[in-house]
Amino acid sequence: MRKIIPFILLACLLCSCSSIDCPLENTVYTVYGLYKSTGEVDTLKDTLTISTTRMNGTDSILINKDVKVTTLSVPISYTQDADILYFQLKGNSSTTIDTVRVEKKNIPHFESVDCSASYFHNITNVSCTHHAIDSIVINNPNVTYDKTKQTFHLYFKSSK
Amino acid sequence: MIKLNKHSIYISRVASSLIALFVMIGNIDAAQPKKIAIQKRDSIPLMNGFAVSFDVVGAAMMQMGNSGQYEGGLRLNMRNKYFPTVELGYGKADKTDITTNSHYTTKAPYVRIGMDFNLLKDKRSSNHFFLGFRYAFTSYKDNVSQPEFKDPVWGYNVDYSCLNNKCYYHWVEAVVGIDAKIYGPLHLGWSLRYRKRIAYDEGILGKSWYVPGFGKSNNSSLGGTFNITFDI
Repeated sequence: MRKIIPFILLACLLCSCSSIDCPLENTVYTVYGLYKSTGEVDTLKDTLTISTTRMNGTDSILINKDVKVTTLSVPISYTQDADILYFQLKGNSSTTIDTVRVEKKNIPHFESVDCSASYFHNITNVSCTHHAIDSIVINNPNVTYDKTKQTFHLYFKSSK
Repeated sequence: MIKLNKHSIYISRVASSLIALFVMIGNIDAAQPKKIAIQKRDSIPLMNGFAVSFDVVGAAMMQMGNSGQYEGGLRLNMRNKYFPTVELGYGKADKTDITTNSHYTTKAPYVRIGMDFNLLKDKRSSNHFFLGFRYAFTSYKDNVSQPEFKDPVWGYNVDYSCLNNKCYYHWVEAVVGIDAKIYGPLHLGWSLRYRKRIAYDEGILGKSWYVPGFGKSNNSSLGGTFNITFDI
């Protein structure tokens, strides 16, 4: 009996061990890939600022003066049915503002009781004005922690 | 008239003696009854009774912690060698994390069926050292909620909750344990179990925190039981 006590203690120790595997960020992002009409990857040449309107009516800047990028990571609201985003493109001679509306379904996501609450999303529709933006297409409707998959393909009217 | 050589006579007498001797030996061997090794048939009956058991570890976990299970088992004894087993249990979890205030609850029954094999050489002993396997299944619903909080970007209030999220788990277990007779029909014993998930669905939440009968949700887990068993 004495010989198996260490074995029993080891087994109890193994049973009692636990690990916390929370993601570093519990906020998910939509990823916009910039493309030309030919399908080639596009690089942002003008300065782009993306903002939205908070519940209290004030503006919140989500991306501030991005330039020379090929992708954009934009936060998405937890539980709103649709997000309204303002894409302000500032060139040498002009500034244009396009409104992008992203409609979605929100799915609560759970990792562990130790981890903060998070939501995953399923994009149902996207629409926009066309001052500088030619079109936005849904590439992958599932918005999760995986940032390697682009949610949208964004086409500007001319190489911006 | 042929006169026989003395040597020839001697040789023939020796040869005939030897022949007679061999024949005699053969007859003696044939006369004695053959000893056939007959193995005694094992007198342990094929159906050697039933036993019911109750797990103490799961019940203690239920009382002292935020998760656990009540579990009983029915075991058939076949020649003190094979023990087909059915285990039924009810697992429950109710956990609130003090950091995140995330509240998780679930409760559901589960079932395991399998067989234990007594590895002791002395099959007539009332004590057992066994290896075994189980196939297990549970279907359960879990609930997760957190107190209302603000969306960090838009500032809206977020009411995070998901109720009655349907899930299921199939898994297999490798079991090793002992079972010792204490007095009369009373046995005490323990087992260690390695559990391996083989099929599952954790619903729209994506993950469970506790799976009744399996433990904390994962690809595999290690667990144990301490059983009080009564022979019937």
